[in-house]
Amino acid sequence: MSEKRLTRGDRLSMGLRAALLQATWNYERQQGLGWAWALKPALDRFYPDAERRRERLTEHTAYFNTQPTLASLALGAVAGLEEQRAAGAPVDAAAVARVKSALGSSLAAIGDRLFWLTLRPVAACVGVVFALNGRWFGALTMWACYNWFHLGLRFAGVEWGYREGPEVLGTPLRARLEDLVRGLGALGAALIGLIVATVLVPGGNPRPMVFQAALAAGLVLGMLTAQRARPSPTEWALGIGLLCIAAGWMR
Amino acid sequence: MNARLLATFLLGGIAALDATPVAQTLLSQPLVTATILGAVWGNLPLALEVGVVLQILAASTLPVGARTPEDYAVGGVVGAGAALGLASQLPFEVSHNASALLGALAGMVAAVLGVPLLKWQRRRNEGLSRWCESALGQGQESALAAAQAAGVVLSFATGVCLTAVLVGLALRGLQGLATHESLRLARAWGLAQPLWIGLGLAQLLHAFVQRRLTRAALFGVALLAGWLALMVGSQ
Repeated sequence: MSEKRLTRGDRLSMGLRAALLQATWNYERQQGLGWAWALKPALDRFYPDAERRRERLTEHTAYFNTQPTLASLALGAVAGLEEQRAAGAPVDAAAVARVKSALGSSLAAIGDRLFWLTLRPVAACVGVVFALNGRWFGALTMWACYNWFHLGLRFAGVEWGYREGPEVLGTPLRARLEDLVRGLGALGAALIGLIVATVLVPGGNPRPMVFQAALAAGLVLGMLTAQRARPSPTEWALGIGLLCIAAGWMR
Repeated sequence: MNARLLATFLLGGIAALDATPVAQTLLSQPLVTATILGAVWGNLPLALEVGVVLQILAASTLPVGARTPEDYAVGGVVGAGAALGLASQLPFEVSHNASALLGALAGMVAAVLGVPLLKWQRRRNEGLSRWCESALGQGQESALAAAQAAGVVLSFATGVCLTAVLVGLALRGLQGLATHESLRLARAWGLAQPLWIGLGLAQLLHAFVQRRLTRAALFGVALLAGWLALMVGSQ
């Protein structure tokens, strides 16, 4: 029976290793190997016996998938469970798998909306506003906007998960993240307005009428095509590019 | 030229790593890679023009659910790299616009062609995963680190190779077109650039607004306020 506890260094190491959560992403186990790799510092701490440690590692290579930033919360929570298990508490492999599965899907539900559907496009819009004015630091601003949250949560998430356990995504945190998604959505809509204004009147000089008409046509086409998943925006953009080349030839 | 090309290929590998296997810090986004390449090639304005178009399209491409999205990590590097490589051999302003058009198109084609390659990598990773589990069962704990390292190396190598092949093909295949048809291509860029930006922005706006009237109103107010501020500020 082990009485060992996870150190701050172990948690930091798990946060760092979480960066490789998707290094071997595959259709069968998705983030399974990456999860075991990120959890290894905790298992090294709790299971000095190599055979038991390998058994636990093998269990953790099973299927797992969630939004990669918020995975840190699940990592901390499961490390806490493994600590109890190693100390002899009645926590079996099935209980750990259940917690992983429940946390994975609920973190993915909020994480996909927060990171992929909101924070990443908002950060991109901030960068584009500067880049449209020819500023090199648009890219840096975009990167910083995203990463103060992404990297912060990746490291702090392990701490939170470890402290709060399987209830880490309880009502208060979920409500705060939902508020953030709503606020970022509104900010994003305002940023798009600002970008359209910047594209129409760069530096206060209105663009030619043909440019303004083409931008308006693009916006209308985009609104119409956004109703359907297929063809994708890139496929539409490729078609538009070929049509414009044809138009350039005919004019 | 060779050192710049080499830097472009390596950036393709780094972007491929950042996109999914390592850290996901947005270093792989087209605006970031285009800015880096603009500094490397000494032509920031062209890099930003191509980068903005590809970034807006990339931001409206979402990695959610089972769908494998277009690979704008490599697409962004190929697009900016091809545009900068073409423009470095053509001195005139019209050829700048022609290069931007061909670069942006090359970037989109690369993003689409990257999808089957991503799927191939993920299938290779399945084999890696099975090997790792069997090695762990035989007592080789180091198999986990080896599998992770192999996944990272595979992704980096695929990114470098795809970037090198597509930038090479674009520079070889499109050089003549950009040289002899730069006027027509520049005209096409004048039409395609606003259409692409409008298309991508509308997709993003649709995702942000989600049929909420207040958000649509925020868009309208920001558009009007931005337009007025720019017009009045320039007087």
